[in-house]
Parts: sequence; C-alpha cells; structure tokens
Amino acid sequence: MKKLDLRPRLSARIMDGAMKVALWAVALGFIAALLVVMGAILKQGWPVLNWGFLSKMPETLDAGGGVRPQLFNSIYLVALSLAGSLPIGIGAGIYMAEYAKEGRLTGFFRLCVETLSATPSIVLALFGLMVFVQALDWSFSIRSGACALAMLNIPILTRVTELSLRGVPQEMKEASYGLGATKLQTILRVLLPAAAPGLLTGTVLAAGRAFGESAVLVFTAGTNTSMTYPDFSLKAPGETLAVHLWYVVSDGTLPDAREIAAGTAAVMVLVLLVMNIVVRLLDRRLKRHAR
Amino acid sequence: MSRSFPKSFSSRPRLPLSLWADRGAGTLFLISTLVLVALIFSLIGFLAWRGAGAFIALPGNTDRVLSLREVFLGLDWSPTQDRFGVLPFIFGSFTVVGLSIALAGPLGVLTAVFVTQIAPRWMRAVMRQAMDLLVGIPSVVYGIFGLATLLPFLGDRWLDGQPSAGFLASALILTVMIVPTIVSLSMDAFEALPRSLDEGARALGSTTWQSIASVLIPAAWPRLVTAVVLGMGRAIGEAMAIQMVIGNNPQWISLMRDLTDRTPLLRFLFTPASTLTTELVQELPNTAAHSAWNNVLFALGLLLYLLTMGSILLTRRLSRRRA
Repeated sequence: MKKLDLRPRLSARIMDGAMKVALWAVALGFIAALLVVMGAILKQGWPVLNWGFLSKMPETLDAGGGVRPQLFNSIYLVALSLAGSLPIGIGAGIYMAEYAKEGRLTGFFRLCVETLSATPSIVLALFGLMVFVQALDWSFSIRSGACALAMLNIPILTRVTELSLRGVPQEMKEASYGLGATKLQTILRVLLPAAAPGLLTGTVLAAGRAFGESAVLVFTAGTNTSMTYPDFSLKAPGETLAVHLWYVVSDGTLPDAREIAAGTAAVMVLVLLVMNIVVRLLDRRLKRHAR
Repeated sequence: MSRSFPKSFSSRPRLPLSLWADRGAGTLFLISTLVLVALIFSLIGFLAWRGAGAFIALPGNTDRVLSLREVFLGLDWSPTQDRFGVLPFIFGSFTVVGLSIALAGPLGVLTAVFVTQIAPRWMRAVMRQAMDLLVGIPSVVYGIFGLATLLPFLGDRWLDGQPSAGFLASALILTVMIVPTIVSLSMDAFEALPRSLDEGARALGSTTWQSIASVLIPAAWPRLVTAVVLGMGRAIGEAMAIQMVIGNNPQWISLMRDLTDRTPLLRFLFTPASTLTTELVQELPNTAAHSAWNNVLFALGLLLYLLTMGSILLTRRLSRRRA
C-alpha cells in the first residue's frame, strides 16, 4: 500500500525554504548596515579623538581646534530643555491618562500630541526663528535653543507618560482608592512610582533625541559659541556638537573640517551608546525593584 | 437677625488640605495639556502668517507680492533674479521620499515578518537592539557617513570617481533612517493578530511562508499601510542628513537634461538636486526677514507642515476604517 504523503507540495516547501533564507538575509543586512555606519564613524573619528580634542577651544581658520564649548553647550541645552519640558510633558500625560474622559475633546488633544510629535524639526526651526529669535528678540542664544528643543521634547514625554501610566495594573489603583487615598495621592504615591521605569526610559530617549538634534538648533541656538568657558549665560550663543558637525562641513573654511566632523560624530555616537546602555541597565534594575 | 459670616462658613464641612490639593492638581494637569494645544496652534498660526506674506501684501513686507501660480507652478528658482518657482523642490522631495519608501516599505515589512514569525528568541533581541541603535543615530551623523563613506563608494562604483551626490545617496540614507519606524509599527501589526489565524493556516497544511503570504500579511494589511505612511511622514521632514548628500542644486531639472554623456538612469540617480527641506536649510540663513525670498521659504515650511499633517490624518482615516 502506498504511504499517504501529508507534507505540503514540493514547490511550496522549496518556496518556504527560499523565503526563510531571504528574510534572514534582509535582517542580517540591517545589522550589517548598522555595523558599517557605526564602524565607519568610529574608524574615521578615532585618530582625532583624544583629550585635547575634547578640552580645546575650536579654531575659526586654522587646523587643530577642539570641541570643548560645543560639548558643554550640548549638555547644558539638553538639561535646560528637559527642565522646561518635563513638567508640561508629564502634566499633560497625567491628564490624558487619568483625567480626560473619552470623547471628542480628548480625541482632539490626542491629535494635537500626535501632530506636534510628527512635526518635522525643520518646521520647528522656522517657528523658533520667528518667535524666539526674531519676535522676542532673543537672537541666536541658549534660551532660544532651549525653548525650541523643549517643544520637540514635550510631545515625546506626554506620550511616554500616558503610555506608562496606562500600563500600571488597575488593581493597584483600586487598592489605593480603597484605602481612602485621593486621586492626587494615588497618582503621586502609587501610579507614578509604578510607572517610573517607563518614565525614566522615555526621558533618556527624549534627552538622546535632543542631544542629536541639529536642524532646530542651527536656527535658534546658532552656529557660534561663547568666548568664555564655561558660560552659563542664557543669552550666550549656543552651538552644540551636532550643529558644529554640520557647520564645519557645510561652511568649509577649516582646513581640517572633515577630521573635526569625524571626531565630533564619533563623540556623539559614543555618548549615545553610553546612554543606550544606561537605559537598559536602569530598565532592568527598576523592573526588578518593582517586583 | 442675620447669621454672621463665620457661622455660615463653619456650618459647611471644611475641606481637608488633601482635597484642595486634589482639585488644584487636576487644574494644573489640564493647564499643561492646554499649553501643548496652544503650542500647536501658534505654530500653525505663525507659519500661515509668514507663509501668506509671500502672496498677500502684509505690513512689513519689503518686496513685491507674488502670485500662487508663479511660485507653485514655476520651474525656475533664481531668487536673485526675482524668479521664485518651487516646483523643483516639490519634485525633489517626492522623488527622494518615493525612492526611499520603495526600498524601506518592503524591507521594513519583511523585517517585521522575520522578527515576529521566524527569528529565534536570541535573534529577536539582537534585532530589537539594532533597530533601537539605528533610530538613535542623529541625522547629522548619517549625513557625515553619507558624505565621507557612501558618496565616494557610489562614485567609484558607478561614475569612475566623479561626484555622486544626488537622489540615490539621499534615498539610501533616508531608507536606513526610516526603516526602524516601519519595522516597529509593522511588528505591532503582526503581534496584534490573533494566534488562531496562523494556527488555522498551519492546520490546513500551509508552510510558514504560505501562512505569512496568504493569511498574515493580508490580515495585517491596513496597519502595514499605516506604518508605511508614518514612515513617509518622517521621510518628508528629514533635512540635515539629506542636505549633506544631495548636492543642493535648485536648477537640477535643467542640469539633468544637459548631462547627455550619461545614461538616463545614471542621470536620474546622480544629479545634484534639492528638496523642500534642504532648500530651507541652505537658504534661510542668507535671506532678509520679510523679503519675498524669505516669505517664500516660510511658505515652503507651511507646505511641509501640511504634508506631514496630511499623512497623520490619512493614517487616522485608515485606522478608523479598520475599526
């Protein structure tokens, strides 16, 4: 008697195998792309990277300048913009998750958050230029840059806050109300601590995005740095690392523009790698703690 | 005898402090939300005001008023000679976005298929990490990678070492930048499908690929389209990375016609060009506020904003039809 063959047709099996190989190839292609980009940046930047590069002032016409003020400005601007955007972003996120009732108005708020977070950064740059630099007459300064960056961060933080609050188990909330806590007490003592891992990760992500942002800052913080260091003045011009990288390449007056750009890119990639690792460790730690 | 004020006051139970705080906090959170709404509206308002200045005589204008027709149907951009046709930038933007979506759409969806259906657990973790890192790389870093590594490579490969700035380099860079967005949204789409769909297909004797191609992808289709449209929205707004590799030539249409020593495909892929965003980055710093040149650039910004708004409304409509 002939044995019944229940396997799919041979052509189907060949197709299946071929597609599996193709999908593996696509996925490995992306990992290869990542390695090529990272590798090229670090390889070109490595010869430039040393303590002198990080601690010297930039040159305007000669080779051999450093990026000390740009590094400072990057960190200072990220900190200032977070200080401005965290209260608004988290406040709005709490409102959306805990107060807003489902309906037209909430749908409209959500559309606003979505629209603001999808706004191209070059459009935010135009707005910053019109409002902070020209209308308020703040010129190209740290304060113009910080306000424009905050606009970039707010929708990200709102979304992250709303999502992490919604992720907290309903039972925790009910238990808190059952013990007689008010809504605010529940939010502050139960929901926010429980949502902390998500909030922290989101904040670091927003910081990373702000750190790498260039389009917005070219038109608000400007392409110059202060002559003194460290300059905490909000009115000082505030070129960051990302802007510096773009500016030296497109301006082209420096003889070693390519080297400076490569070094700056390597510094940025390293900072972002460290941030990525920190997020991972924090996340794991907080999740274990929460359990 | 009228009741004294303190007595009537104390006849009501006094709210404890925590309840007052509770009411105040609700208002504060609402105010945060309203700040966000106000930001969006001032953004639209300011852009519309300055963009409109190019076409309507507004106080403060220092130049002549342009007609919508000469700007949006004009092919010649020579602002110093009073010619303001922006069609080359619109074509440029659509070309770059079209090319990169043609690459990133299928690749992104297939990568999501791989991660959700085929990859072993360890590979899934590796892919997540890789996508996180790709998203995190700033656009100027992609720009310098394109300038220092990709352009020389393309030039050596196809043009005998001639400059290779243009649409191909921009589209390749943009593809790597938007693929992670498409992958992560498509992964959500596949993960939202009920397990029983795949199981049913398998029970009927499908291979893995048959189940993916004839059951899972069709079932997830509306959300996959949404993912690609959102990727498109991101692509159209990207500025710095493209500005560094596209070559920045507003006259690219006539140049493409003139480069007759190359094949049409090579001309199309490797002519230095311009897009809406690169033109803003390139020229905005050089223009005087409220001049016609400056106003037209703001109108381009408004157009860009409307395009991204459009992509969001489109995805909303798509997701509503699904529900």
